[in-house]
Amino acid sequence: MPNTPVYIICSPRPQAGKTLFARLLSEFLVLKNGAVVAFDINLKEPSLLDYLPEITETAEIENTFGKMQLMDRLIIDDGIAKVIDLGFHAFDEFFKMTEEIGFLKEAARRNVAPVILYMPGPDRVSARGHDMLRRQIPPSKLIVIDNEFVVRGEMPAGLAQGRMLSLAALPTFLKTYIDRPNFSFTDYLRQEKDSSTELHEWIRSNYLGFRELDQNLTLQGS
Amino acid sequence: MAKPAVIVVGADKGGVGKTTVARTLLDYFSANNVQTRAFDTESPRGTLKRFHSDITEIVDMTATADQMKIFDTLNAVSPSVTVIDARAGLLSPALASLRDIGFLDAAKTGQITFAVFHILGPSIASLEEIAETANFMGGAKYFLVKNFINNTSFFEWDQATYNSYFRRIKDATELTIPKLNEMAYEQVEVASVPFLKFVANKGPQDQAANYSFVLRGYVRHWLANVWSEYDRIKLTDIVGSTKASAARSDDK
Repeated sequence: MPNTPVYIICSPRPQAGKTLFARLLSEFLVLKNGAVVAFDINLKEPSLLDYLPEITETAEIENTFGKMQLMDRLIIDDGIAKVIDLGFHAFDEFFKMTEEIGFLKEAARRNVAPVILYMPGPDRVSARGHDMLRRQIPPSKLIVIDNEFVVRGEMPAGLAQGRMLSLAALPTFLKTYIDRPNFSFTDYLRQEKDSSTELHEWIRSNYLGFRELDQNLTLQGS
Repeated sequence: MAKPAVIVVGADKGGVGKTTVARTLLDYFSANNVQTRAFDTESPRGTLKRFHSDITEIVDMTATADQMKIFDTLNAVSPSVTVIDARAGLLSPALASLRDIGFLDAAKTGQITFAVFHILGPSIASLEEIAETANFMGGAKYFLVKNFINNTSFFEWDQATYNSYFRRIKDATELTIPKLNEMAYEQVEVASVPFLKFVANKGPQDQAANYSFVLRGYVRHWLANVWSEYDRIKLTDIVGSTKASAARSDDK
């Protein structure tokens, strides 16, 4: 039986591209599966809720009640993929909590497959965050996202070990274009007749990467 | 046959978590396959009885008939460990009674294993109980339990005060019970099941329950920390269990 995937997009720093990545991934999952539930844990940054209000719920993990509301949903094997846009301010608390409550172990028991999509920058905070995750998360469940918007060059050596996914940089005018709240990646693919445009190729290339990632995750349990 | 072991959990002050500690002990012995019976001295309504009804009896420790029920049966009944949850204010009188009936002498000569878990509260008054209790501790293993349910510091910031109390009894061993998340604690209260059953998502009759995964996780983590303290003091060895903690069947 296929797993229920849970994608946790995170970074200990702001402006790492988490929300952009969460938007892309959520739209891909809607296109592929017809449904996805996204959770926005951003109180201080541009928010997924602004872009995908129909599929996004807000969540907070600053108190136990909020943690219960979020985590008790994530642990359900309902076949619907979950995407979490984890704000930088919640990074430490989230992983402290998941380690304490044994989230990964319980997820494995329940046929739920979490994967951590870590979006670092070239800074020391990102390196420390990665070290913390590596101590806690098995290598097969930790993927570093090389966001060229942010890393701007070669990924620092410590971060380049293990699984990686790339998010290519777009020219500034296209970045501004996709940052509009009413922009949809899937709608763009459907409506833009010219499939050779840079944005078309960029979206398709990312969707292709997601397809492989999603297949690996969901088939782990079958 | 292992000699009988009696563990008294008590304090002269109320609200310091005596029953919580007694519950963790019963869960610990259960997980380590150590047969245990318990007596709840909160007569007529016992809190411990509510959580561990199958092995707990409510007694009045000041009544001779109930004292006989506990101590005259130590060798006769199959469980090798007896846990007594002494209600607030009853620790010193209970120890005095045990001395009077010769129980403490039996412990001193090694016929019985006797341990006291003295749960400390956050006040100086609570610490002063240590001196009072110390007079009875000749043949007993004495554990001073710092229960952090109230985020107490136990005067560790004031070494002179701390030493004057905690160093008073030479052979006392300190134990630390960490704080459990409040909501998790409350949910276990509402469920009225042992911590182990709560972690396993089971109701009082072992039926499937629907407790929050987050709260179960917090309880599991906390219980593992408490048990690591019991492992540290080699509690199963103290009570003479031949089944070491390796036999534990849980999946902490």
